[in-house]
Amino acid sequence: MSSAAEAAFRVQAPNSRPRAIKVVALDTAAEAVVRRLAAGSWKQATFFTAETFTRNLTDEVGAADLVVMVAGPGGHAEAATLIGKACSDRRIMTTALVVDARTASDEALSKTLSQLRPWSLMMVIADADSYIEDMLAALRA
Amino acid sequence: MLRKEQNDLLTSTGPGTAMGQMFRSYWIPALLTEELPENDCPPVRVKLLSERLIAFRDTNGRYGLMDEFCAHRGVSLWFARNEECGLRCPYHGWKYDVTGQCIDVPSEPEESGFSKKIKLKSYPLVERGGVLWTYMGPADQVPPLPEWEFVTVPSKQTFTTKRWQESNWLQAMEGGIDSSHVSFLHRGDLNSDPLFKGAKGNQYNLSDSRPVFEVVESPGGLYIGARRNAENGNYYWRITQWVVPSFTMIAPRGNHSVHGHFWIPIDDANCWTWSFDYHPLRELTEAEVSAMRDGKGIHVKYVPGTFRPLANKDNDYLINRAAQKAGRTFSGVEGIAMQDASLQESMGPIVDRTKENLVSTDNGIIMARHRLLRAVKAFVDKGILPPGIDPVHQKVRSAAIVLPPDQPFKEGAREAMIARPDVAPASV
Repeated sequence: MSSAAEAAFRVQAPNSRPRAIKVVALDTAAEAVVRRLAAGSWKQATFFTAETFTRNLTDEVGAADLVVMVAGPGGHAEAATLIGKACSDRRIMTTALVVDARTASDEALSKTLSQLRPWSLMMVIADADSYIEDMLAALRA
Repeated sequence: MLRKEQNDLLTSTGPGTAMGQMFRSYWIPALLTEELPENDCPPVRVKLLSERLIAFRDTNGRYGLMDEFCAHRGVSLWFARNEECGLRCPYHGWKYDVTGQCIDVPSEPEESGFSKKIKLKSYPLVERGGVLWTYMGPADQVPPLPEWEFVTVPSKQTFTTKRWQESNWLQAMEGGIDSSHVSFLHRGDLNSDPLFKGAKGNQYNLSDSRPVFEVVESPGGLYIGARRNAENGNYYWRITQWVVPSFTMIAPRGNHSVHGHFWIPIDDANCWTWSFDYHPLRELTEAEVSAMRDGKGIHVKYVPGTFRPLANKDNDYLINRAAQKAGRTFSGVEGIAMQDASLQESMGPIVDRTKENLVSTDNGIIMARHRLLRAVKAFVDKGILPPGIDPVHQKVRSAAIVLPPDQPFKEGAREAMIARPDVAPASV
């Protein structure tokens, strides 16, 4: 049974350990967003460009609990294939975020989706890049 | 997770709270029309947004919703006599009209005009689609009347129920957009519930138990798409609509009725779960309505004479461990609605979101919170009206549709996600 009084008796011990979340900008539009995020204070999130992430791909993926790929609509997100395949091979969860999608054309969005969908187990198409910050906080990054 | 102050902000809806102010900017469902079935019928207690109110229908058929308590000695007007265009308190005979205006104080000389100085706080109450709607915000900012499709179709095409849920509104609403639970909690019902079974789309569901989710912002809230593999490399999409703050519409199945919910705070530890089924083109059949009355689909059976579900927390939701073990139900609780409600109520009256551990597939919930926080801040700080008030945001539909693999579902289902009279829902 659940009541307000009983809710006070929840066990207060921590119920999880930190997760390693790697945030990768796949294109130039996303790089600006990820660079801004990287300047913030995070417990378990680290931030990369596609180039820096793929340089040590095996190690980075091996150390990740979640890989978040960020792209703008219509950009060059080809690195999603390489990163996504590495994650798939190691059974690492992937999330893709398309940012600044409010004014994107259907064609631009289609192009990005065709690159991201095969390698994303979760996709978010957000109007504004401020969402990523909230998402990372929600995931205890 | 949410920080404590964010959780408090979104879950507190009483007078003077930020989220309470935002809820008070909408027309919200207050009662079923059938609760006030005739002129001068007994008044009904209504608690909404932590305010205790009394609803009644006067001699001329006008609806009233006002402070439950007599201005004289604080007696509940639930005991009042509903007579001659007003509610008369049985204690000393003070009488109020549907606007809350006191119109008679028998102990005072009529010529004194004393009664004119007494007025209970009241809110408008209007009938639309079998539901009585109220607006509890400032009188000079009344929004357009509700335009949700389920209340604008002919009455024989729509059916609405409500049930008392013993939890805060937010965790109930979040259950409605938590698409990833369906493959577990409700897996036993797709092929057995009369309001779901037989649709071709069910086969896509059952043959691909690992859907991939896409969350897309919409003008009124969110589109939450669940994609599964279909024939020829295409995707089968089930697209749920969420409109700020608490309207959801579930993707349809075959030619079954379309359904969805409103979650409306009673107080911070309880809410009304409103559940509607309708078909845009045809009347609901007797068999469908009978099944809904019998608690099938998203509806429930009740403790007689109440809106409390028959399976409730005082009887452990009539959990059937044998059915759970045999796999007839995944949780052991019967019926989709109570499968959801039992688990949401088990979280506690207001779940402590500082302790949760969300994962990627919870992005629908994360985005909904993000939009709610954004909307309530803009509303309180700058007076910007939140999404969901504009009737355009209300004329939406959920959809089930097969699309090519590269197509954004927002594009491929654009027309399907708009409610248009005489246009069939997109359903598989």
